Amino acid sequence: MIFNSELSAQQQHTTSPVVTGGSVIALAYKGGVVIGTDTLCSYGSMAAFKNVEKIAQVSKNTIYVSSGEYSDFQQVVKELAKIDRSALQYDDGVHPSPRDYGNFLARLSYKKRCKINPLYLQNVIAGFHNGERYLALVDIYGTYLESNFVTTGFASYFCKAIISNYWNENCTLDQAKQVIRECFKVLFCRDCRAHDVIQLGYVDEQGVHVEQPERVETKWDFNGFKTRANEKLHTQ
Amino acid sequence: MLKHLYDTDCVTWSPQGKLFQVEYAMEAVKQGSICLGLKSNDHVVLCSLKRQPSELAGYQEKQFKIDDHMAIAIAGLTADARVLCKYMRTECLEYKYTYESHHPVGRLVFKVAEKSQHKTQSGAKRPYGVGLLVAGIDPNGVHLFETCPSGNYYEYKCQAIGSRSQAARTYFESWFHLFQKSNLEQLILHGLSAIKKAIMEDEELNEKNVEVGILGKNQKFTHLNAQELKNYIAQLETFNPNSQIQQE
Repeated sequence: MIFNSELSAQQQHTTSPVVTGGSVIALAYKGGVVIGTDTLCSYGSMAAFKNVEKIAQVSKNTIYVSSGEYSDFQQVVKELAKIDRSALQYDDGVHPSPRDYGNFLARLSYKKRCKINPLYLQNVIAGFHNGERYLALVDIYGTYLESNFVTTGFASYFCKAIISNYWNENCTLDQAKQVIRECFKVLFCRDCRAHDVIQLGYVDEQGVHVEQPERVETKWDFNGFKTRANEKLHTQ
Repeated sequence: MLKHLYDTDCVTWSPQGKLFQVEYAMEAVKQGSICLGLKSNDHVVLCSLKRQPSELAGYQEKQFKIDDHMAIAIAGLTADARVLCKYMRTECLEYKYTYESHHPVGRLVFKVAEKSQHKTQSGAKRPYGVGLLVAGIDPNGVHLFETCPSGNYYEYKCQAIGSRSQAARTYFESWFHLFQKSNLEQLILHGLSAIKKAIMEDEELNEKNVEVGILGKNQKFTHLNAQELKNYIAQLETFNPNSQIQQE
């Protein structure tokens, strides 16, 4: 057998993702932050893994979700857990705050981007620390943005109008959850890689709460679909 | 008398279970001029006596800022102190670059202690000849640590190291129960009073040979300037810790 050692020594650069997770929507509400994501991992256009729970609890008061290459997500979860474990090593009771995780992830993403081998992810970190809620987006390039609402993937295109009209940063938890459910309803209609089962998770003063996956109500009997009023008929 | 048989290097134990090289290194700390630190619920104050090698020279600085929330006072070999200071500053900068927050104080002292211990377990190395008083404030609270050439570190309410530091420690033993609730001014006066106990009869405290650094929960590390030092030293004449007890 001939082993081509040159090939195995060559480092591959991530150019396109293989198994991908869908959109993530995160909203701050009065008293915390809630994140919603669907439970699908797509293999290209195939809906390959339909029961994936993607909300990772990184520490007592921080959750992390991302859309993009799922294996990169799994690796990042391990990296973030490493930081939390270092508190055990030093035995000094100091735990990273959500902002520490956010900044660390930004530095990591930026480093990988500089080597033209990015973590193919749009990351969302949410937490609650010292009475303050925290929500940030770290993108594939390492851009770090703190905000009261964050959307990734197709949600950035379809859902901002919904969020804009029905959400404000001081709404209740239930209101925020309802907005997210509406957004995923729309996404399921319009995004080919979306799924109708979603999972919500929220962080507040008491800590992290990740809910069981739920099926989003879908409605297909719109007049527009039935009568196809907006479509031009193809004639011979 | 047989000490010299076991004190050639760090990798030789004495029959009594001592590492003489490490103990000799601690002697170097005791030769340095005095520096002390004390803390309250909100502030840490570092005071040190600066030495002047000759009349033509300036005074040797003994307090160095590591980061906005942390500073050290040194006693012993200044060159070794410089190395540790640089290391601590680098670690703080790297932590800030990665996490955008301040390096936890205890953790950095632990790292320094690890570094120091490493030097005590090698045939080709010698221990650092400097003791540090590390003052810092982090979410865990207000801290004062002492590090040793041996690689040990301890957290203190107040501590003095260097030449004639026992006199200052004796002062602390009488009054440290007041420190926790003291305000900044009282804390500085306590520190200066303690240093005054440690100077020689023919020496006097003045704004040139004393260094006072302060760190507060809402205050970055700063040194008192010459005028402020003069004022505090003048207040020493009338400072009476007993009056602080009456207030409470």
